[in-house]
Amino acid sequence: MAEKKQTVILQTSDDEQFTVEKVVAERSAMIKSMMEDLGDQEGQAIPLPNVSSSVLTKILEYCDHHKTEPLPAPDANDADDSRRKTSEIGEWDSRWIQVDQEMLFEIILAANYLDIKPLLDVGCKTVANMIKGKTPEEIRKLFNITNDFTPEEEEQIRKENEWAEE
Amino acid sequence: MPPAASASASGSGSSSSTWVEPTKDDKPPKDADLKTAWAFLQVGVEHMMSRMHLGMSYSYYILLFTAVYDFCTQPGKTGTTQFSTNRGGASLQGAELYRSLHNWLSDHCKKLREQSEHLSDLELLKFYASQWDRYTTGARYVNKLFNYLNKHWVKREKDEGRKEVYTVYTLALVAWKQNFFRHFTAQSGMSRLTQAVLRQIEQQRDGEPIDSGLLKKVIDSYVSLGLDEADAQRQNLDVYKEYFQSPFLNTTEHYYRAESSAFVSSNSVSDYMRKAEARLQEEADRVNLYLNDSTRSDLKAKCENVLIAEHSKLMWEEFQSLLDADRVDDLARMYGLLSRIMGGLDPLREKFGEHVKKAGQAAVEKVLPAPGATTETGKAETLDPKAYIESLLEVHTKYTEVVEGPFRAEMGFNKALDQACRDFCNQNAAATTSTKSPELLASYCDQLLRKSNKDLDAESLEAALNQTMIIFKFIDDKDVFQKFYQKKLAQRLVGSLSASDDSESSMITKLKEVSGFDYTNKLSRMFTDVNLSKDLSERFKDKERAQGVSADIDFHPLVLGTNFWPLVPQQTDFNIPREIRSTYDRFTGFHNEVHQGRKLTWLWHVSKNELRTTYLPQKYIFMTSAYQMAILTQFNENDTLSYNDILNGTKISEQILKPQLALLVKAKVLLQEGNNYDLNLNFKSKKIRVQLNQAVKSEQKAEAKEVLQAVDEDRKFIYQATIVRLMKGRKTMHHQALIQEVTAQISSKFTPKIPEIKKAIDYLIDKEYLERSAESNNT
Repeated sequence: MAEKKQTVILQTSDDEQFTVEKVVAERSAMIKSMMEDLGDQEGQAIPLPNVSSSVLTKILEYCDHHKTEPLPAPDANDADDSRRKTSEIGEWDSRWIQVDQEMLFEIILAANYLDIKPLLDVGCKTVANMIKGKTPEEIRKLFNITNDFTPEEEEQIRKENEWAEE
Repeated sequence: MPPAASASASGSGSSSSTWVEPTKDDKPPKDADLKTAWAFLQVGVEHMMSRMHLGMSYSYYILLFTAVYDFCTQPGKTGTTQFSTNRGGASLQGAELYRSLHNWLSDHCKKLREQSEHLSDLELLKFYASQWDRYTTGARYVNKLFNYLNKHWVKREKDEGRKEVYTVYTLALVAWKQNFFRHFTAQSGMSRLTQAVLRQIEQQRDGEPIDSGLLKKVIDSYVSLGLDEADAQRQNLDVYKEYFQSPFLNTTEHYYRAESSAFVSSNSVSDYMRKAEARLQEEADRVNLYLNDSTRSDLKAKCENVLIAEHSKLMWEEFQSLLDADRVDDLARMYGLLSRIMGGLDPLREKFGEHVKKAGQAAVEKVLPAPGATTETGKAETLDPKAYIESLLEVHTKYTEVVEGPFRAEMGFNKALDQACRDFCNQNAAATTSTKSPELLASYCDQLLRKSNKDLDAESLEAALNQTMIIFKFIDDKDVFQKFYQKKLAQRLVGSLSASDDSESSMITKLKEVSGFDYTNKLSRMFTDVNLSKDLSERFKDKERAQGVSADIDFHPLVLGTNFWPLVPQQTDFNIPREIRSTYDRFTGFHNEVHQGRKLTWLWHVSKNELRTTYLPQKYIFMTSAYQMAILTQFNENDTLSYNDILNGTKISEQILKPQLALLVKAKVLLQEGNNYDLNLNFKSKKIRVQLNQAVKSEQKAEAKEVLQAVDEDRKFIYQATIVRLMKGRKTMHHQALIQEVTAQISSKFTPKIPEIKKAIDYLIDKEYLERSAESNNT
């Protein structure tokens, strides 16, 4: 294609610069709305102080793959979003998300920060699938959590969540 | 780490202002406390709210955004890992940030308020509108900047049902409303801002140009400030209604009340109507231009009330003179105005109906011959049915045009027109009784349908018949028309006087369409009878020829069903002249052969004869009635006969014979000498065919009377039949209810008279078809 694609520069916390297509960067609702409000500032890097270059590399893969899909409406009601209701993850996405736990959590954090809703969903579903069918002990082990609940607190939580135990 | 972008990022802005964007180094640490974080954010918010035209770099924006994000995602003081976000902590921090923002916005608005305090009118509007623009634009940026707060803390608070927590943009509007907007209220109770708006509108109404874009901005802000607690998306017009709409409507009312009263007192009504129309249009445009659409109906109602309803009496009074002068444009305008208000048209309809009625009656009076006026021949002039019907039609046509033009064919006016036409068609100077109009209409139809009517081609005849149907629909006593029409139709058919069979049957079809099959049944039977009879006489002639009977007399019998024809044999003996005796006998015989059991009654008084004279040097053909023929054939044997001879010879009763003889004498066919009549051997006439069969004058009058009698007879039966039919269905019925029901059923045929109904009931009781029940009023 002869026409030059619009690009933006993203700069990570470790000062690495990524030049990406505008449509790819706009997967992030935060970046999109900022560019709308501030106007085009060609050549200006967008600093992302909360994202490291390794995570951004991974996320840009995702954004590039999904760049042609319609963006979710900025104020779409979560309840109406049928995609969120299933624990199904697309084929490409589930292969892509096969990363170590550390990376998975970094991705989720970045998705939340950058406001990339579908990506946040994929991350959260993945974590949910990891938890599914496990006892609290197993989960604690999986995520390396020390049990800091008192027995009373634990009882209280069980009571509150009775509805979920079916 | 050197700031990569921020130094040059302020771009164009930095040159024209002392504003220098903070850099990465100014950013508070991730775990900064509220004070530090807010100090950093406040600078950004202030920039967005008031200096956004200077621009903002990506990096500064991201720094601000990240600061919000970091603050909101700070692990709570009790949280231990990044993932166990303690709810208490998160909501506390969100709340702190939210409160800080709220305070800042409130302070900002208070400053605006101070700046605006010395301003009024146009200045105030301009200041307000420009501040509003800048504020809302800025608030939109800030809203997005605080997106993280909106999406998490605010959302959760709202989900938990907390009122008074809004998304940042809404929060900004709330702050504006509470700290700025509400404080315009002047001592009069009306907002200074609203006053300024209203003053502008008044100036515009007075014809001065104003900046309606400015007004629109200010008024739109009223709408935006109506915040729905439950749903920020939904429009809530409370603020608009309270602060703007109701004072606006009040001033509008005052303005137009004053203006219209002043205008009316020094201008004509039609000028006023033009003015009111223009004003109403202006106000409708005003809504489009800068008001909220919800005001449209209220404003319209107010204006219509002040401009139309409060002056409707004046217009009603003017209506008559507009009608009199046929001022179509003004009538249309008046209709347009008064149709907007409830009941505005009722008096017009009433007056219109009255006017049409009068016009109709006046038109009839015009064609009515002046009393005592005479024709050239010396007879008293009679009313020409043609002129009469045409004058009725003219009035109807004219006012139908009025209804369809200025009154836009509105139902009520159509009804008033119909009622008025019904009134003047049945009751006017010519039609002093309700039976006169149907009679005249029938005569007019007769004129149209007769052969002698040569001025109309088939098409315009058809059109004329359609026109008569208009009048027919208005006629109350349709049965009277039916009788007269039947009579005239009989005359036309027996005398072969119809212009065309097609027109006859088309007229019958039209009548059928309006009044149904029963109404025209007899008429169409008469029509078929004539055709049947033609066949019959053909067959008779064939038989005559077959039997070799010499036909020196042309014989055209019409055999007609007694039930369908309004022809009654006259009460007289009749000695059938020798000359036609044999034909008479043969046909009677033939008829009995074909239709056994049917009684054949000869109707001599409607028959026509042609006699060839043989006693004169010039051959004449006398067209005579059967009676005259009988008289004249007496003279075949004698040239002179006495009255008694003739009386005995013909056996015609005296009251018929005398006028017939008189006619012959007048035509100089016979010469009278005392009691003797001589055949005038020197008879001369310019025409070869001599018409001797003229209707005797007394017969014409009797005819009308006869018809009316027949109608009365028929009506009696209809009353009785209707009553019996009803009573069969209901068994018992209240007297009053019965009369009402009968009236309702009969009124399509004629106007029933209540005494007649009572008479019919009494008659039926006498005959023991009905009986009064024990309680006095039930039958």
